[in-house]
Parts: sequence; structure tokens; C-alpha cells
Amino acid sequence: MLFPTATFAIFFLLVLPTSWLLMPDMPRWRIFIIAASYVFYGWWDWRFVLLLAASTVVNQGFAVAIHRQRPGALRKWLLAVDVAFNLGVLTYFKYYDFFLSSAQNGLARLGLQLSPHLLAVTLPVGISFFTFMALSYVIDVYRGDFQPTSFVKFAAYLSFFPHVVAGPIVRARELVPQLRTPRDPRRIDASRAFFLIASGLFLKVVVANYLATHVVDEVFGTPDRYSSLDTLVAVYAYAVQIFADFCGYTNMAIGIALLLGFEFPQNFDNPYTALSLRDFWRRWHMTLSRWLRDYLYIPLGGNRKGTLRTYVNLMLVMLLGGLWHGAAWTFVVWGGIHGVGLAWEHWLADRRRARGLEAVVPSRAGRAWRRLLTFNVVCLAWIFFRSESIGEAFHIIGRLFTAWGQPSQAVSLGVLALIAVGIGGQYVPTDVFARLMSRFSRFSPVLQGAVLALALMVSSSMGPEGVAPFIYFRF
Amino acid sequence: MATQTRQREPARRARSFEVGEPPRRAMAAGHVVIVVVVALGLGVLLNADGIRKGAETQAAGWQRDTAIALAKPLDAVSSTLLLDRPRAGLKWALGRSGDDRLRTGASFTAPEVSPPPAEPPARKPVFSAARPLRLWVAGDSLVITPGESIVRALEGTGAARAVAPVDGRISTGLERPDVFDWYAEIRRQLRRLKPNAVVLSFGGNDDHDYMSGLPKGVSIDEFGGPRWTAEYRRRVDAVMDTVARDGRVLFWIGLPITRDADQSRRFDTINRIVHDEAARRPGRVFYVDTYTLFAGADGGYAQYLPDSTGGLVKMRAGDGVHFERTGGDLIAATVLDQLRRAVVLRERTG
Repeated sequence: MLFPTATFAIFFLLVLPTSWLLMPDMPRWRIFIIAASYVFYGWWDWRFVLLLAASTVVNQGFAVAIHRQRPGALRKWLLAVDVAFNLGVLTYFKYYDFFLSSAQNGLARLGLQLSPHLLAVTLPVGISFFTFMALSYVIDVYRGDFQPTSFVKFAAYLSFFPHVVAGPIVRARELVPQLRTPRDPRRIDASRAFFLIASGLFLKVVVANYLATHVVDEVFGTPDRYSSLDTLVAVYAYAVQIFADFCGYTNMAIGIALLLGFEFPQNFDNPYTALSLRDFWRRWHMTLSRWLRDYLYIPLGGNRKGTLRTYVNLMLVMLLGGLWHGAAWTFVVWGGIHGVGLAWEHWLADRRRARGLEAVVPSRAGRAWRRLLTFNVVCLAWIFFRSESIGEAFHIIGRLFTAWGQPSQAVSLGVLALIAVGIGGQYVPTDVFARLMSRFSRFSPVLQGAVLALALMVSSSMGPEGVAPFIYFRF
Repeated sequence: MATQTRQREPARRARSFEVGEPPRRAMAAGHVVIVVVVALGLGVLLNADGIRKGAETQAAGWQRDTAIALAKPLDAVSSTLLLDRPRAGLKWALGRSGDDRLRTGASFTAPEVSPPPAEPPARKPVFSAARPLRLWVAGDSLVITPGESIVRALEGTGAARAVAPVDGRISTGLERPDVFDWYAEIRRQLRRLKPNAVVLSFGGNDDHDYMSGLPKGVSIDEFGGPRWTAEYRRRVDAVMDTVARDGRVLFWIGLPITRDADQSRRFDTINRIVHDEAARRPGRVFYVDTYTLFAGADGGYAQYLPDSTGGLVKMRAGDGVHFERTGGDLIAATVLDQLRRAVVLRERTG
């Protein structure tokens, strides 16, 4: 079930009032929300529900077992087995064929043949997201940061439909406490919720879908037909498309959860205003960034084991973060570019510190330059993320420099306007949106409904026909 | 009165969110439900035209029937209350007035063209950088990736150029001219673009026992049944006869084997019809057999296939139906081979 569809609208019209009616009786509410979430998730393929249920049972089992053990080797082993289970499931569905075929290709170059048996299984939607959530729960229990909750609460946490297919990656300690006590039905931050849903819908249906169908897919599909200017615009358009697609989805997810009375963490904070790659990763897919920081970077030693080890850790985290997005070398290169960039920034900062210099406070022009540079490095990495092979990515990069003489075919006013909206919108002071939400919150419910209906009509009319799949559903 | 005001003040403070400035007024759950009902109810009426079209263009089945049964009266109410006007106005302003138009009454009639001769053309046309072959690629979503690969491969010869971007339209086909009228579109584009070679791919959405645009007195039976087959054959014939004339060559990309065995069987039924009809037009219509091209060593579905070096290459997309770029390139190589048999390409060397 996709958010911007009639099917979901009907589903939500049933779930929203029922959820609030059952809210005073939390045990019954939790059963209801698990059932609703499984219907939502099983709408793609009912077999996926079995996987989600299995993940719930196994992870809860390990969390309870780890909690009952005294610190020692057995506790460590239990954690190791649980991590192996989760990564094993992820590998089976997502990486098995990729790793085996890559090994075969390496051996073929040496003249050796493996003839491996490949699985060609369907990738269950959202598997990377709920696997990471389950892992964070068990690891937090192991670290003593969180007490295991009841099975039903854990099942509700893991399957809660607003986040189950594409995040945000919510921690158990953030959501489980909210699942314990009834939400206050008199105190819903509805204007923020509606603003997030309407903006998410606009970003996905209008901005992302328009840019995909009017420039990105064509230029990345047949780059030789397009000029350098077209290619440059397509790269920028893809940067906006992927932001609008993913931020649009998570905005809707956060808004829907808010209407049900639940607070999710923020997932995007104007990432294209970042002054550096470090800053970018504090603003882009924030729930994944902090997951990688807390469960990968810090356990690897973070920046506590010397300068060189810090760079290696950064590189490893970004390479694995890249691979998390998909089983392809293009994602690894994407992660690698970010890893090198982050290590470079750390090195520059370390060098200044070693010379006893203060951190640079950039001037206005300096800040503009840093933003431009960061955005373009991010865009360079996006070329690999979007391309179907590393060779194709280099071909696209080549086209950026070698086809300036050709006439432009893909640049239109609509494309430029939406790129401007997608990037420029991130520079609008948050106060402007806060005022809008404040004013909106003072409208009567009927007027609020009418304004939202108009927003729905505008998004639906302006977007291309049909609902394009969300990019992050593949991950 | 003053007492009431004093009593209400603390409650109002408690019900506003002051974390962000300026504060937002909190809402009660009942009011939230009212907002959602009004937004969706009014939203449905404002978008009734689009919803009606969406319902009509769904795949046949109870879901489509239910959607139409709900959408039709909504559309009527919206039209009576003039609530359909803002959307129509916005569509007009965007230059997309036709988006919500339905072609449910459109009956597909075969174009009045005589079939091309059964023998291959006597002379092969010659194309070069000075007089490049004009290529047009169109079809359903399955044509997009192979189409892009074909454009790349042919333009790489220096003796061909695509006259338009690949026109792949998702969820369309030959069964449903009400969803998208490919018959009219093909005629329009042939006149406009004047291609020498056309690559088409249809059928991926045609494996159902439902067709719109049936001529008066014609009905169909179940998918693959005699009457379904006769009508589908008539449509394939019409497309081939429309395209493969005036010296034009047509390459029809057949449907691939898929992860779903039932779907593969249905695709094979469509492939047989297309293959037979292409065989009746030698030298003018070429059938590109992707079914066997993408079958694994055991004859079944394979996501990866070996390349010439013994390495494994991912050919098929994760959905088990569509192609990866490498799969598209394999189809492009086959089309280029077939094209070289149909025409003379004075290719760029070096």
C-alpha cells in the first residue's frame, strides 16, 4: 500500500478513528495496530508478513534471553547469533546473488569457473529498515540502554505501519515508551502533521515524479542524445528528485504517525544547505546516520583509536552504508566518495588542530562557497547512485565536459522551476513554515479540511499520471 | 463569564505547542477525524475526474468494478456542483486538458491499409551518417530499458538516430485502448516522425481476459481462448500492417520469461501470436525472442546470465519481469543484428 493512493486513504479513514476509539484500552489498541500494520505491509505480498513476524519472534526471543543473562561470554554469543540472524536474512534476500556473482566474476578473470546456484528471490519491501530497527533494539538491550519490552509492544514497534517500509528508522527507546501509555486525544499536533503530509505529497507527486519523467530518466537512459547542459541539469534534477522522493515519503510517515498521536524523529533537515559533508550527514537520512554512528562507527572505535583508524572507520561505515542501499558496486562507490570526503574534512580539521589553530569561521562568501562545493560533491556521488554501472556513471561524468556544443533538449522552464523549488525551499527560514502552521492551526476543522482538499487537488493535478514507486522502497 | 474565561485559559495553554515559535494550537482527536474526512471527502470531489479515469483504467476485476461503481456517482455529483472545474482549469493552464479524458466508447477498428507483400523487399535500403536511419521506439514499460539500449547501440553506429525519446508508457498495451490508444498514437507518430525503423513492445499488460474497444457484435472469451486469440491477433495484425509499410521495418520485442511461472505461460501465449504474425511479414517485421534469450541453463527464469568471459551478469530487475541495463544491451545487440539483415548500415569505423 502506498501513501498517495486511494487504497491508503480508505485504509487510513478506517484506522484513524478506530485507533483513537481503542486508545484508552492500550492492550486492545496494540493488537489492533499490529493487525492494521500487517494488512498494510501484506498488501504488497502476504508472504512478506511471515518474514516480519519471524523477525519479531526471533529478535524478541534474543532480546529477552540476553537480558536474562549475566554479563559474560554467553551474552556476547547470544548477541552475535542475533546479529548473524538479522544480517543472514538480509544477505539471503538482498546480497546473496550479488556476492556470489561478484565472486564468480572475479574467478572468471582468473580462468576459474564456479557455476554457483543463484536464488533470484523477490526482495521484501522495507527489509533493510525493519532489520536495522530490530538490531538496534537487541543491541540496546545488550548494552543495558533499554529493557526488553513485552512481545506485543515489540511487535507493534517493529510493524507500526507509518515507518515499516521506508523509515524513519525509529529506535525502540523512542517509540516503545509511547506504545505503553495512551496518547492524549486532546493534544494532537495536527497542524504540523497536516503540513508534513501535504508537503510530502507535493514533494513526491509533483517534484520527484515530474523531474524523473521529464529529465532524469531520459538523460540517464540515453546520455549520448543530450548536451552537457542537459546532463548537468539532469544531475541536479536527480539530486532534487531523490530528496523530494525520500523526504516526501518520510514527511508523510511522520505526519501520519502524529495524527495517530506518535512522535517520530526528524529524518531530513534541509540537507542541500550543508556546509560540509559532515554537516550533510547530520541533515540527510538522519535516522540512518545516527544508526551507523551508534551501531557501527562507535563500536569500530570511532575517533578514539588514532587519526588513521578514524579515517578507516569513516571509510568502512560509508562503504557499508552505501551497500545498505543496494546490492551493487555503484552504491559502494557512492559510499566511498562520501567516505573519502569525510576523511578529508577530518584530516583538514586535525591538521588545523595540530598547528594550534582555531576552527575557521567562514565569511558569508565562504559559507556560500562551502555550500556550493558540498552540494556539487554530493551531486557527483549521486551520479554513481543513479547509474546502472560504474562505467555508465563515468560516461555521464564525461558527458558533463564533452558535449557543450550540442543544443539543449531536456532543459525546460518546468524542470528549472522545480529544481529551484527543491533547492531554494531548503533555504526558506523555518520560521516562515512555523508561522504558516500556527495560522493554519487556528482555522476551524472544516476550513482546515477544505485547505487540505485544495492542496490534494493541486498536487494530484500537477503530478504526472500514475504513482511512481518510491526510490527508497528498493532498499 | 469571567470565571469561565479564567477556567478556559490554562486548558488552552496546555493544548498548544510552544516548542516552536509561534505556537501551534493542539487539536482533539475528534477534530482531527473531521479534518481528515472533510479533506478526503472534498478532495475526492475536487479530483473526481482523475479518480474516475483511474478507476476505469484499472486492470479488469472486482476492484475495478467496485472503483467504477464508486467513482461514477462521485463524478456526477462533482460535475453538478461544478467542483470539477478547478482541476479542469488547472489542467488547462498546465496544457494537459486531455489527461482526465476517457476513451471508454472508443472502438478499435483496423486501419484501412492492405497488408504488405508476403515476400521480403527486393532491395535493402542504405543508411549512413549523411542519411541516417530514423528510429522510433515505443511500447509499454518493458520497452524502456531495452529501448534506451537500442537507441545507444544504433546511434553508436553513426548511421542511425532516434527521432524521439523512447516512448514507454506504463500499464498500457493493445487490450485497453481506453487506457491509452496506441493505434491512434502509432499512426500519429508515424506521420509526425517519419521513422524508417520502429521498435515496439506490447503485451506485458495484456495477459487478461478483458479488452476494451471491441467492435460491435464481437465478444471475447477467457485469456488464450479462441475468440480472445482471434481479437488479439487482429490487433497485432493491425499494428504490424500500419507500421511495416512504405519501406519501414518493425522490430517487435517479445515478452520475456519471468519469475512467475503462470505469468511466463501467459506471456508465451501472447508471444506465439506475435511470432506467427511477424513470420507472415518476412523482411519487414522481425520478432525479437526475449523468452529464450533470457532463459537460464535449465530453461527457467534466471536473474543472472553468463557472459562471454564466463562471468555472471545481472540481466533482470528485482521485480522478476523488467530488464537491467545489461539485459537491455543484450536485446539491443539482437535488434542490431536483425537490422543489419534488413538494411545496409554504413557504420562509422574506428
